[in-house]
Amino acid sequence: MTRSREVLLVLLLAAAPGWAAAQTLPAGYAGSDTCKVCHEDIYNGLAKNPHHQLEADAKKGWQGRSCEACHGPGQAHTEGPSADNIRNPANLAPAAADQICLTCHLNQPTQVGRPESSHARNQIACTACHKMHSTDQPLVVRKAEATNKLCASCHLNEWAQFQRPFHHKLPESAMTCVDCHNPHGSIRPAMLQSFAANDPGCFKCHGDKRGPFTFEHAPLRFEGCQACHEPHGSANPRMLTRAEVRFVCLECHANLPVSSTMPAKVAGVVPPSFHNLNLPVFQNCTVCHQKIHGSHVDRNLLK
Amino acid sequence: VKTLLFIIGSLPLLAQQAATTSDAASPVPSTEPVLTGSVDLGYLWVTGVGGSYDTYRSIIDVHSGPKLLGADFTLADPKHRWFDSIQVRATTWGAEPAESLHVEAKKSGVYDFNADYRDFAYYNFLPSYADPLLGQGIVLDEQSFDTRRKIAALSLDIRPGHWWTPYFGWDHDSSSGTGASVFVSDSNEYPVPNTLRDSTDLYRAGVRFEKPHYHLTLEERGTVFKSDQNLYQGPGSVNSGNFSAPIFGQTLDLTSLLAAYGIGGSSAYSKALLSASPTSWLDIYGQFLYSQPHTNVNYQQANTGNFYLQSQILFYSGEQEILTAAAEQPHTTASLGAEIRPFKHVRIVENWSTDRLHDAGSAASTDTLLSPFAALPLSSLIATTLATNYSQEALDIFFDASSKLTFRGGYRFVWGDARYAFLPPAGLASSDQQQLRQNIGIGSVTYRPAQKISLTGEVEGASSSGVYFRTSLYDYQKVRAQVHYQPLPTLSVSGDFTLLNNQNPLSGTGYEYSSHQESLSLYWSPRASKIFDIQGSYSRSDLKSNIGYLEPEDLSQQVSMYRDEGHSATALIDVAWPHGKRFAPKLAAGGSMFISSGSRPTSYYQPVAKLWVPLGAHVNWFTEWRYYGYGEAFYLYEGFRTQLVTTGVRLTR
Repeated sequence: MTRSREVLLVLLLAAAPGWAAAQTLPAGYAGSDTCKVCHEDIYNGLAKNPHHQLEADAKKGWQGRSCEACHGPGQAHTEGPSADNIRNPANLAPAAADQICLTCHLNQPTQVGRPESSHARNQIACTACHKMHSTDQPLVVRKAEATNKLCASCHLNEWAQFQRPFHHKLPESAMTCVDCHNPHGSIRPAMLQSFAANDPGCFKCHGDKRGPFTFEHAPLRFEGCQACHEPHGSANPRMLTRAEVRFVCLECHANLPVSSTMPAKVAGVVPPSFHNLNLPVFQNCTVCHQKIHGSHVDRNLLK
Repeated sequence: VKTLLFIIGSLPLLAQQAATTSDAASPVPSTEPVLTGSVDLGYLWVTGVGGSYDTYRSIIDVHSGPKLLGADFTLADPKHRWFDSIQVRATTWGAEPAESLHVEAKKSGVYDFNADYRDFAYYNFLPSYADPLLGQGIVLDEQSFDTRRKIAALSLDIRPGHWWTPYFGWDHDSSSGTGASVFVSDSNEYPVPNTLRDSTDLYRAGVRFEKPHYHLTLEERGTVFKSDQNLYQGPGSVNSGNFSAPIFGQTLDLTSLLAAYGIGGSSAYSKALLSASPTSWLDIYGQFLYSQPHTNVNYQQANTGNFYLQSQILFYSGEQEILTAAAEQPHTTASLGAEIRPFKHVRIVENWSTDRLHDAGSAASTDTLLSPFAALPLSSLIATTLATNYSQEALDIFFDASSKLTFRGGYRFVWGDARYAFLPPAGLASSDQQQLRQNIGIGSVTYRPAQKISLTGEVEGASSSGVYFRTSLYDYQKVRAQVHYQPLPTLSVSGDFTLLNNQNPLSGTGYEYSSHQESLSLYWSPRASKIFDIQGSYSRSDLKSNIGYLEPEDLSQQVSMYRDEGHSATALIDVAWPHGKRFAPKLAAGGSMFISSGSRPTSYYQPVAKLWVPLGAHVNWFTEWRYYGYGEAFYLYEGFRTQLVTTGVRLTR
């Protein structure tokens, strides 16, 4: 803080008792107007933020002292304008910073999945994504491009996968990371969104793959779409995990006879079939087994 | 689209009128709705596609024409009469592969309304994917499609911010189009055109209760689903299929086909979410989700030609099949967890979850084979079951050694079983069952010595005694490390590293998988100069996978080897003309590239350059050039390259 601002602060604080008396602030609190004297740009940023309702809504309990809802009582900071005299969530351990947010947001739907989310487990604080009083960024970024940019700022590897030719349309800003992942956590692995109640969120857009099918393809139910697909992006057509379809299939359907008495048996290892893989027609299993996601009609997924 | 373009194009004029009113009324604050935001309108040229147009459509699929290139504006009502604000965002419209429109309207404490609409083109025609006839010079993807998928969602929250909030929603997802598929008979397959159409409607309603010490959400949902697919070949044409070799001197062919699927379904869902904080050191959370979707199917098929049934050494000239089927899938998911804070620096997170899915299906069919001499009816009744029960118990302990350093240790036990069966048993595999048992240990550390630097490392290792599939994670190790450093307010550097090793040494599997990926990004924006900023990233990935299998024809031992080493980079530099002040033109140039070697060597380049020229306080003219180049070393005929040029104006308020 510059010398002139310090002088200005002292002059303004000289008048502060009058304001405080008018606002009847609890002991130790300075009030938002006092904060605004030095932190006008931050205050103006907060005014554009939904948290500004704390300033006006008496029911919330922070009327006239919205800054101190997160930063704690500010009287000491006004008397000695040092950063050590005020609580700054950015300097706290992420879990401690989150507890400030959870003072109000604990008992909300987002909390149900939050403790199990990889964000919470890896100490990613709420403020890593949500900006409380930024003048150029809202509380929650909504534009697809901005949302993806925010996620990609940490998840560099995942964003690199979207640069591959076959990908979901995130670089084109037609989709966002949040379309598939719930950043607050989910009951599904990888914080995947769910569709309907407990189906994978993939079915929100791929409804024809949802079933239930008379003849299911078990991996879809047991391990999800990523058993065969790279959901972020791939150099392989249809975002497959392998360059040719037959190898996606053969790695499970290996034709190795497995005794049912083996202690660690695995599924799908059918006894030998006699397709000649040297013939092009058998090199892509889905030419015939076209209902690979499950069939309503045929047990061999042929139609 | 034209209507939308007109409406959005006219909004800046409306805004100007509002602003004029506001200026005239100054210094009294305006009470009229205020519009702010921007709209991009322009024209896009695709300057010819060299190489495979089908691959271009499968990956890019942009077409020339006038476009609404984007819109993002907010209409605010200072009087808060019907709304506080309405926000509208739209991405490219005008025969585009991905079009979207999003509208948010809210009035504080009264309602919160969201509408989302998207329209995606799904086009895929890649002969390398499924063309058994390529050796005969026939270029055809026998599993291709050209469809559009439309997705809409509406949601309305009543009394947001109050202690109880009812909400309602409707989601719609539909697709229609054409494609190529295959009609499979016993000894040949015939590529035929097909039509595809499906739609799902989801309705939901619920209520949220939010009190200082607990939260409860109760929700009911229902869906209606239908799907119709038709395979058709008109009479009078001869389709020789994928096998032209004669059987016992006769060639097989298809001369007419009509196969029609009529699939309908519905479901009901229940959802309950709970969180509570009974004491200052304990938070409890849980959820219960239940669904029971079911489908009913009517399938009819009539085909003529010359066919062969190998199991009965029978040639036949026609077939009629009628099938009815049904499937039901009760699915229950639940979790219960707690966060306990026994000491100031210690947190314990305990969670149990389960997922139980039981699918039951049945199909009854009558298949009549017609020959010049007789009709052979074949009837069947098949029942199927598939069930999986998955459970997980997880414990994590967090220790805040200081405000800058946090350690975490955890343990997770995963167990489950799965089984499926066909009745009556027939064919290859009629029943199977597996068990899942995994012990997983986790450790992580987060270190933030200063606001400008953070390091996170996480290690996960597992040992399994049972998994569902040969390629499932068995004995695996996962590592992830991230670093973020901001040495200057204008400069930041980030790094990301992931590693996954998975081994399944069991006899008959012998699976070895390893992958790692490293990325580095840089952002530099010297604010003092305001002349340029630079952002760039580079990523390298390496994947190796080996797993054995038996060649089906001769049962010889083979290894499926997959290799993929990829390099991708993105860069963008923004330069502003230093002496132009308010009307300084800006140039952005950069793009992305990807090259890989291994099992499917591929290159994909997307350089881009964009010029902005301000024409006035609220009008910018821009022109963008973009190049796409795609190549595959093993499938040269699928490469393409093209250039896209876009020019337009941005109108802002």
